[in-house]
Amino acid sequence: MARRAVASRSSVGKIGNWLWAITILFMMSWLTPPTMIILALGGLPTAVAWLIDRSDEKFATYCVGGLNLCGIFPYLLKIWFQDHSIEAAMNIVSDVFAVAAMYAAAGFGWALFVSVPPVVSAFLNVVAQSRVTFLRAAQKKITDEWGHAVSGGIEPPPQQTAQSEDETAEEGDAGEG
Amino acid sequence: MAERPLETDDDAGTVPPADMESPTVDAGLDVPPQSQRGDVRGPVILRQRYLVDSGAPLPALDSPSAMAFNVEDQHDFGRKMFGLICTPDLPTRLDSMRFLKNDLPRGILPFADWDVVYWPPLGQNTTVVIYDQPLGGRVVTRLADKDTKITEYDVARHLVEPLLTPIQYLSETGSAHRAIRADNLFFMDEAMTEIVFGDFVTAPPGFDQPIMYEPIERAMTTMSGRGRGTVKDDIFALGVTIGVLVLGHNPMAKVTDQDQVRRRQELGSFTALFGETRIPIPMLEPMRGMINDDPDGRWGIAEVSNWLSGQRSKSPTRKSRTKADTPFAFRGHGYNNPKVLAAQFCANVPEAARVIREEAFAAWVLRSLGDKKRAEAVKNTVQNAHFYKDGYQGSDDYIVAKIAIILDDSAPIRYLGYNFMPDGYGPLVALEAAQNGNQEIAAQLLSRDIPAMWLTLQDPPFHDTPMLNKTFAKLKGFLSINDPGYGVERLLYEINPSLPCLSPVLQTSCVVTIEHLLPALDLCASHSDTSQLPVDRHIAAFIAARFDEDIHPHLKAIASAKQEISIIGVLSLLAFLQWKLRQPAGLGLCSWVGGLLGPVINSYHNRKTRKQLEKDVPVLVRKGSLTELFDLVDNAERRRTDRRGYMDAQREWLDAEQEIREIQGAGDERIIKAERTGQQTAATISVVLAMSEVAILLLVKAV
Repeated sequence: MARRAVASRSSVGKIGNWLWAITILFMMSWLTPPTMIILALGGLPTAVAWLIDRSDEKFATYCVGGLNLCGIFPYLLKIWFQDHSIEAAMNIVSDVFAVAAMYAAAGFGWALFVSVPPVVSAFLNVVAQSRVTFLRAAQKKITDEWGHAVSGGIEPPPQQTAQSEDETAEEGDAGEG
Repeated sequence: MAERPLETDDDAGTVPPADMESPTVDAGLDVPPQSQRGDVRGPVILRQRYLVDSGAPLPALDSPSAMAFNVEDQHDFGRKMFGLICTPDLPTRLDSMRFLKNDLPRGILPFADWDVVYWPPLGQNTTVVIYDQPLGGRVVTRLADKDTKITEYDVARHLVEPLLTPIQYLSETGSAHRAIRADNLFFMDEAMTEIVFGDFVTAPPGFDQPIMYEPIERAMTTMSGRGRGTVKDDIFALGVTIGVLVLGHNPMAKVTDQDQVRRRQELGSFTALFGETRIPIPMLEPMRGMINDDPDGRWGIAEVSNWLSGQRSKSPTRKSRTKADTPFAFRGHGYNNPKVLAAQFCANVPEAARVIREEAFAAWVLRSLGDKKRAEAVKNTVQNAHFYKDGYQGSDDYIVAKIAIILDDSAPIRYLGYNFMPDGYGPLVALEAAQNGNQEIAAQLLSRDIPAMWLTLQDPPFHDTPMLNKTFAKLKGFLSINDPGYGVERLLYEINPSLPCLSPVLQTSCVVTIEHLLPALDLCASHSDTSQLPVDRHIAAFIAARFDEDIHPHLKAIASAKQEISIIGVLSLLAFLQWKLRQPAGLGLCSWVGGLLGPVINSYHNRKTRKQLEKDVPVLVRKGSLTELFDLVDNAERRRTDRRGYMDAQREWLDAEQEIREIQGAGDERIIKAERTGQQTAATISVVLAMSEVAILLLVKAV
């Protein structure tokens, strides 16, 4: 019952968001049709990215959208400050160079989305490995001082096994002494 | 009756003469190596004062259990002294030695000192007791040599009067001489005017006594089981001594002990011992009074004093002897006397048990003895035996022992071949353990409540019943615990305050007092198996019995299954002893214990601490201080720090391990996470670029 209630509440919320978006688009289309024309045609890569990005966070959409906006914004400024008409907007969207600039920017955004994660991942891997090395060193120091019993029966990592055998032998000698 | 002159030079004593004939080599107090033992002979110094010469025996002064040797007093060369060398395994009377040393009663051979020293002819330590020499020699010797004569007219003034004083003195101190016999009287002076009692501390009470000097019930026991006794037993022995001295011979010289007991049971002790001799008429009344088999009817100090002062004492009463109307047939003989029948039962246990189980026996007790109470007791015993068929209560030995007590309640406990009075339980089990290595009998007798059974069946009650019951209950308590410091070993030392420690480690050391223990262990370290702990069950029990302080925590630690705790327990106990007794350093013992500290050192978690301890232990071992050694290896603060540090280290290690596992163990999750972080970074860069561009362009336009 509760789950069904939560699901129905979230679907109501989504519909509300959609209604708001449609209202805003409608209002903007009514108030600034030139801007809407440029955005509609120039922002197509962002819309595509939004459609193919199935993740909840929509990082691809943000990535493509951000740089797509970089490509669109100079043309928006042009119509806002020079000739705010549908004709001027149509001229811009029919200009191959302008459209290419907008889409290239979006493409650059996509390239960023594809190329940055491996770099970051590699970087994080290096950080993790160095942390592991640091922790192993700390563990070895503890074991050297307190013996292997300090691990509470947890098997030492493979790289420490040979070393630990030597130490056990040492302990045995001490015991006999 | 055959008569025999008084013998003067008995071959008694447990120190074999052959052992005494060894070459003279100077011997000190220290125990020499094994190889040198038994082949030396020479003077031994005792308490830095008395020089006991093992090359100068004095056979005329020997005691049955201790040989006499000449002693020189280093503080007074004119003083004539002799030392008695005790038999090492035999419990002595340490309590009596202690009070004799502090108080010198008249009428007893002047006691000078005692100590445990290394005795070269024996090749081991033993107790040596020093006395002043009686200048007039042994009374019986002088009488035999006809140097003097004791007539019936001299008895009161020259014999009984001086000897009654020490008997009374000992009685007042809660003790008894228990070695009063004709050949243990000495003339203290050359003029032979002063008679004194000889030694009584070198053997358990009554141990050295020929059975004629013992009241019938104690005469029936084995030598070690005769019991502490009371003043009444001393008076009995005095009566017999008077008889022997007045007669000038021993009337029982050619009678076997068995026959003597039987005759005494049938006729009464006085008649059996002196019935066929000519006792002077003035001596008849006092002797009958003193040699009365009924302890209640026997003369005491008051009656003897009255007799000495010429007043009338109560006439000796004779307890009527119970006799059956018809004899009971056993092994082809008919027995009217239940006491004799009881003795026969004890001598033939399997057959006696069979006879007792038959109804005819209970019927005989009821009809012929006319004793309903006894008949009921016999019936109950047989029924009980039937009920506990598989237990010890159903065994032949138990039934016969109980029936023997029912038939003759004054007779000693006769069980499994051991005949003893309840107050002789201690020396009996001590000797059995020391000489035959049989400790089990001590436990068996007690766990089966044999002494308690005897005490319960006494009518009237035995004189020491409440105290004995208390003692036996306490001993049973010890027996029920099996940890070191308890058990049968503890029982042996508790009941025998002078029993030397029977530990194999101290086999030749004769450790009698707690003060002797650490020095003896120190000396033993050189020839003992130092891979074993220096405190075994015997030593732990010996300490628990002889040391007045509370050592329960130490014993608990010793009993631990963990080796390191057990070692710490031993070290702490020895250190506690050293500290409390203020004993000097012992390098041997310290090094023995130090060598066993490996597991204790390894019980520390911190390796640096271990290494430090391994470095410090030899230094303290060389100092010989057990207390410092204990403080080093079991310092509370160090232990706490180590434990706390270990716990912190453990936590740190586990935290690190957890983090490592989080990093490594994530696998695909980590890759996904890194990718998402990368995507997020890309998205952030993109948004930041967009916003920057928007802002810059707007600013440019605005300007």
